[in-house]
Amino acid sequence: MADRGEDGVDGEALLDLPVSVLEKQPGLASDADWGALMKAAQDGDAASYRRLLGDVTPWLRRYYTHRLPLPMWDDAVQDVLIALHEKRHTYDPARPFEPWLAAIARHKWIDRLRAMRTMPTEVLDEALPAPDDHGAAVSDALTLDTLLAQLRPQQAEAIRLVKLEGLSVEEAALRARQSPSLVKVNIHRGLRRLGALVRRVHDAG
Amino acid sequence: MPADAPPPSGRRAGDATGALIERLAGDLKPVRRRTTWRDAAVLAAIVAVELVLFLAMGGLRPDMPMAMKQPSWWWKLGSMGAIGIAGLGTGLLSLDPARSPRRGLRITILLVLLCVALGWLVDAARPGTTALLARLDWRQGIGCVWKMAVLAIPAVLGFGVLLRRGAPFDGAATSWAGGLGAAAAGAFVFVFACPSDDPLYIAAWYAVGLALVSAVSRVILGRVARW
Repeated sequence: MADRGEDGVDGEALLDLPVSVLEKQPGLASDADWGALMKAAQDGDAASYRRLLGDVTPWLRRYYTHRLPLPMWDDAVQDVLIALHEKRHTYDPARPFEPWLAAIARHKWIDRLRAMRTMPTEVLDEALPAPDDHGAAVSDALTLDTLLAQLRPQQAEAIRLVKLEGLSVEEAALRARQSPSLVKVNIHRGLRRLGALVRRVHDAG
Repeated sequence: MPADAPPPSGRRAGDATGALIERLAGDLKPVRRRTTWRDAAVLAAIVAVELVLFLAMGGLRPDMPMAMKQPSWWWKLGSMGAIGIAGLGTGLLSLDPARSPRRGLRITILLVLLCVALGWLVDAARPGTTALLARLDWRQGIGCVWKMAVLAIPAVLGFGVLLRRGAPFDGAATSWAGGLGAAAAGAFVFVFACPSDDPLYIAAWYAVGLALVSAVSRVILGRVARW
């Protein structure tokens, strides 16, 4: 049965999201390998640590391509790498590494969603180069759409226009036929609901 | 890194990320792994030392042998102990980012309600009743709440230090659980000094004390929980 929260949001639908991105690409180390590398890193082995961080970086990029707008990907990945470094003592080598990493990535995702509430939006440069993996970018947009579909339509539209397409609040208000103050309220509430939604998925998992 | 090792695939993510990886690996120091049991032992030691000091300073109520014959005394001691263990245990477990505190917090809150319900049973077994307001004795009650709050400070601080070192996914719920547990730990110590054995008085004022300390701790610990 779908887990509908107080906002009427279908949390279970989002449970499908991580599965596709948590699958590793061929050639990458297994979870046990990552766990062993992290264990060695906890003991001070810099070479193992360097390899681990290098390995998890593309994994994190795939994670965020499904969840955040393109300009935020690298910052989010770096946030996780720093958090992983600062909190590396909290990893228990007796347990799988991936859920631990995914929890940190999800925590930083919520931080980014929260930051979007107050962060000024810059209009994207038309000449901005396309990502290397265009196919992935297209599917990411679809996934982000899936996420936004969990919100009320006015909230999703306000977030899409201002935070993803880079319109000003006034332009978005004209386009969405909402007052500027309502656009701001819808962005604020929508992003807050997204954060709550992600947290609920974490609780369910 | 061995010379024949493949280059880290993370470098493809960009120069900035590659430079960050090099810096983090260069700064690497061995760390002592966090364990929930060690953290729990630290908190247990804090509460035990506090209790010993409190009793050594003359905190023990003078009629303790009589009080220990009352079911209500054992009820309040057991209740505060159980809530303290549940709350702080939930808080400590959730310092691992992969563990959510929500289920434990719900269980702790249910435990508080169960303890209050048990108090009604204890109260029903007491012979005779007097006026409610007189039994609540608000002047003494406020004094009790104040002492409970002061006695909760070591547990709140201890949990705060452990929280700072941990990585809670849901800082708000972890702060609630830890704050409630710390409040119950303070109340547990206070049980040895509390002059009242009236279940109504205990249920009312201990609940106020728990709620107050939990709410303040939630605000303070919530800031510590950010990472």
